[in-house]
Amino acid sequence: MTRRGTNRHSVAAVAMQVAIALAIAGCSAEDRPMTTLAPKSDLAQWIQNLYVEVTAWDAIILAIVVSAFVLAVFVFSSRVGEAAPASTASSDLGLEIAWTLGPTLVLLMISVPTIRTIFRSQPAIAPAGALEIKVIAHQWWWEFDYPDGAKTSNELHIPVKRPIRLLLESADIIHSFWVPQLGGKRDVVPGQINELTFVATIPGMYPGQCAEFCGLSHANMRFRTFVDSPDDFASWDRAQLAGPVATPASDLTASSGAKVFADSPCTTCHMIQGISKGYVGPDLTHFGSRTTLAAGVLKNTPENVAKWIQNPQEIKPGANMPALLLPGPKLNALVAYLESLK
Amino acid sequence: MAAQPKPLPVHQPSYLEGGGIAGWLTTIDHKRVAVMYLASALFFVAFGGLEAMAIRVQLWRPDNHALSAAIYNAFFTMHGTTMVFLVVMPLLLGFLGNFLIPLQIGARDVAFPRLNALSFWLALVAGILLHLGWIRGGLPDAGWFGYANLTERYFTPGLAVDWWVIGLLVSGTSTVLTGLNFLTTIIAMRAPGMTYMRMPMFIWAQLVTSILILIAFPPLTIGLIFLLFDRFFDTHFYVASAGATPILWQHLFWLFGHPEVYIMALPAFGIISEVIPTFSRKPLFGYPMMAYSVCLIAFLSYGVWGHHMFATGMGPVADSAFAITSMLIAIPTGVKVFSWIATVWGGSLRMTTAFYFALGMVLEFTIGGLSGIMHASAPLDLQQTDSYFVVAHFHYVLFGGVMFAILSAFYYWWPKISGRMLGERLGKWQFWTTVIGFNLTFFPMHILGLWGMPRRTYTYGADMGWTHLNQLETIGAFILGIAFLFFYINIFKSLISGERAPADPWDGRSLEWSTPSPPPAYNFATIPQIRGRDAWWILKYGRAGSRGVAAYMSGQAPSQPQAGEPAFVEGIHMPAPSIFPLVLSLGVGMMGLGLIIDWYRIILIGAAVVVLSVIGMGFEYADFGEESHDPEHAPSSGGIDVRKIGVWSFIGSECVFFASLISTFIVYKSRSLAGPGPKILNIPLTSFSTFILLMSSLLMVLALAATQRGDKRWARIWLGGTVAFGLIFLCGQVYEFTSFCHEGMGLTTNLFSQSFFVLVGFHGGHVAIGVIWLSVLLVAAMTGKLGRSRALSVELAGLYWHFVDVVWIIIFTLVYLMQAVPGA
Amino acid sequence: MSDFAEAHGAQVRHPGAATYLIIAAFLVVLTAMEITVFYVHALRPVLVPVLIVLAAAKFALVAMFYMHLKYDGWLLTGVFVFPMMIATVLLVSLLMLFAYLSNHMAPLG
Repeated sequence: MTRRGTNRHSVAAVAMQVAIALAIAGCSAEDRPMTTLAPKSDLAQWIQNLYVEVTAWDAIILAIVVSAFVLAVFVFSSRVGEAAPASTASSDLGLEIAWTLGPTLVLLMISVPTIRTIFRSQPAIAPAGALEIKVIAHQWWWEFDYPDGAKTSNELHIPVKRPIRLLLESADIIHSFWVPQLGGKRDVVPGQINELTFVATIPGMYPGQCAEFCGLSHANMRFRTFVDSPDDFASWDRAQLAGPVATPASDLTASSGAKVFADSPCTTCHMIQGISKGYVGPDLTHFGSRTTLAAGVLKNTPENVAKWIQNPQEIKPGANMPALLLPGPKLNALVAYLESLK
Repeated sequence: MAAQPKPLPVHQPSYLEGGGIAGWLTTIDHKRVAVMYLASALFFVAFGGLEAMAIRVQLWRPDNHALSAAIYNAFFTMHGTTMVFLVVMPLLLGFLGNFLIPLQIGARDVAFPRLNALSFWLALVAGILLHLGWIRGGLPDAGWFGYANLTERYFTPGLAVDWWVIGLLVSGTSTVLTGLNFLTTIIAMRAPGMTYMRMPMFIWAQLVTSILILIAFPPLTIGLIFLLFDRFFDTHFYVASAGATPILWQHLFWLFGHPEVYIMALPAFGIISEVIPTFSRKPLFGYPMMAYSVCLIAFLSYGVWGHHMFATGMGPVADSAFAITSMLIAIPTGVKVFSWIATVWGGSLRMTTAFYFALGMVLEFTIGGLSGIMHASAPLDLQQTDSYFVVAHFHYVLFGGVMFAILSAFYYWWPKISGRMLGERLGKWQFWTTVIGFNLTFFPMHILGLWGMPRRTYTYGADMGWTHLNQLETIGAFILGIAFLFFYINIFKSLISGERAPADPWDGRSLEWSTPSPPPAYNFATIPQIRGRDAWWILKYGRAGSRGVAAYMSGQAPSQPQAGEPAFVEGIHMPAPSIFPLVLSLGVGMMGLGLIIDWYRIILIGAAVVVLSVIGMGFEYADFGEESHDPEHAPSSGGIDVRKIGVWSFIGSECVFFASLISTFIVYKSRSLAGPGPKILNIPLTSFSTFILLMSSLLMVLALAATQRGDKRWARIWLGGTVAFGLIFLCGQVYEFTSFCHEGMGLTTNLFSQSFFVLVGFHGGHVAIGVIWLSVLLVAAMTGKLGRSRALSVELAGLYWHFVDVVWIIIFTLVYLMQAVPGA
Repeated sequence: MSDFAEAHGAQVRHPGAATYLIIAAFLVVLTAMEITVFYVHALRPVLVPVLIVLAAAKFALVAMFYMHLKYDGWLLTGVFVFPMMIATVLLVSLLMLFAYLSNHMAPLG
């Protein structure tokens, strides 16, 4: 493409983007955190480019159809007062060729960038230097396993400007991994390893959600992705690998909470490194450092943790976690302990 | 010479009169069957609509507690299932197709009137089964396309999904029978002179839809059978830990599901192609291209199913292929939209409610089609699928497109069907309320989808910025509800006190308008001779392209030419009513119910009822097995009997049925984790069985030859030989199966065993049905009832038998002889 | 066949018993060939194409002669062949799609 052509193309593209952004009034990513129109990765940007192109063509076609329709119904028809139609012509080769060839050409133009993007976004092998993270979907939470052994749940941390390759597996049924600002979704299918490859371009927190109906609490299977600077990511990774933060002896509530935990059925399902070995539910070793709980549904505050522990099914219908119904003091202690696990 | 013709009585009873309740329960008149479909659809659409409104109430605000998650999930499942299977398809096919096809092609009924009634009763049984969850076990709640492996009993225990599987199997059977019926009717029963290129566009649409039905439903049937086996018999067709994959369900479902949306869209296009020319007083623009585009859309619709699966990881090659085919299908669709507008252009417009809805359809459907193009671009689809964007897309095409067309059809043909006019004023109110309500409800969904709201979520977070649009949509949904209230009121008022309709209230172009409103049971006193497209217009005004000015200007209704009401009526033989369709359907219902509630005796009784009903229907009419000699017109199929066409259509459908089973076998045969594999197959034994089955085909064809030359003795011998060889084959199968069980390979042992037993078992089931069929014929032969004139019944059985043999040829090759070839 | 159908130009020819027996003989021979190909290990490399051709031949013989398609009009052949084509496309597509999938299966166990 010549430079002039490129300039015209990008001017048109920018104009289009502005128009569409205006048309969908005020969709800033802060107000609409799950928006698909604020790309923060290369993959999301490629998709956005396609979106602009197709929407532009759609708008043109719609304008043509609506104009022809309005003209036909309101202008170029004989109304009921006149007895007969102006003509009863019922074929016109030129017209029929035009409205077959025209759409064909438009679709051709859409198909070329479509196929290019398809192949570009699904590289057969991981890009050089890619960080490969295993994503395991469960009913109804997300597990993230890093190559260096770090494990966390429901909050994914990735470094900015480094290729990420997510390896998606399911522990039970079909789910779908979707962080709109980082790209399109990919289904997570039991028995199959699907891949999602992208490079995040702007640091920030981007919410995601399961996008394939997976039972009672499908609506409650949310998660957050944190795109960190390389240093932030490195220190986060180090913290995850380290064991649980030791509870200071001065914090009596948290210390007795540790005992509550050790004596409760929690240990069957949840892992806290060095303390319990449960694999059924999320790893809790650094639970206190997470911003949400119950897979992105509740903010991580002591009240919410207490609410969750006492009756998970009320927040997440069908959740496998039993309601513990602990007495007040024990509950508070447990909550304090969990929140101390930074 | 003919007997003295009787003079026409002053009042010709319409098809609605006479017979009482018993008359309706045993009716096989296509018009009565159509009305029953309508009543059932109007009943179920209330359920589907209320479910939608409840969904919208729940989504009014974030973290709402109007509906529990469980109820919400059941409601969106039932909303989709009800609208697709119990409302839209019955309205387009069972109601409009049934009523209009014979009338528009100049026939007295469909090719198989009792099968038609059977389709209805089966559809009703299906609707009831789908809703029995209200009473026991809970409503289906895994989505209208029920993805595996969520639908496995482990993840969705209880009866809910069981009702869904059985209900859909029964509904699918009903629809396939209708497809077979309509295909045969349109091929064989057009009035003399009505070539394919002179058929109304509605008939083109129904013709192509019928073919689609026959080839699209088998994969769904197979997918459901696999799910049924998983849930009831402990197989693992969709269980990854056994080596299988839930993706198989998606392929099978969408191989059905995509053609299914065209099964809904094409008749809608056909309706628009009828309504727009009438109210523009112009012929349809570009008729030949419209006919070709309908065919092309149907053909392409079978190649796009993967676009529902772009997110599943099919790989870039498959993604690209499906993206291209999905875009291609937009081209013939665009041709239709442009042709409709060109039809209106320059026309003399009559702005009736029917026309309003048709025009509205064109615009709304275009919007839906344009969002479809976005979905066709695979990477873009990865943002939009499974979000509210796709919910917007399919509601624009299915409601804005198909439902608007149905409403247009209603206002257009209700006078013919009921003999009353619908109120135009209330109709316009309904139209505008519908337009406002519909767009208010569904347009914001495009935006919500672009803002990342996933679908099928019973609630959403307050911090997502989705609240206001959701509230707008809920208001829209209630406005839509009001619109439908207007609709029900209009129907009610019309029936009670509506203006009586003339035969041709709209100055129509096709043959149904030449009959009284409502028509008599026999449709036409004499079958008309067709001289061109828009046959009725030609009969009125002399030429297809004429402007119809003279009569219109003089204010006179066009005179009814000969095709309308002649002075005398010869004895018209209409087939007699039958109780069998109702009884057979009850038997099917009993089988389904018995399976689900574990009442095995009911299954057996139901099966017995079904078998006896089938046999009863076979011999019900005195002229069973005789080629029909309709004195009024030769079949438009070039002399081929309708029953032969019917059996071949069925065989065509069965090709796809077995292809789905065979594909699964090949894919799964090498994926077993443990246990025996193809090496267990016994080639010598099976070779012997193969020879037996091949020879049985020889015996069958000799039996037919003997019957055709009137040689009763040899007919009996050859027929008996075929039955005997069939039984030997079955014994071989039984021996093979039991020896496998002794060697440790049962149905549920591993993937190879289950795929093998289901494939070969179903084939064996087909052989068994064939043996029963031939035995019944043998009994008829031995009691002297199978004379030369009834050779057709032997021929039909023979076609089925040979087909079963041909399937075995393929199975023997692909399963047995290719045992060492690895699977996919 | 009926006079009525004859009057409307339907094909009426029926093969005689001799033809049926010859077809039967062909079917037997073709089946024997198939079984031979299976047992002769030297032919393993060409097993699949040979078997497909032989099976297709048997299929065609039964359809054309026993099911009378050769003598009926194009209509019935069309009604049968079109779904068969679709069925074949379905089979081949599914095999290709699942072949791709096998390379992306998760390790079992």
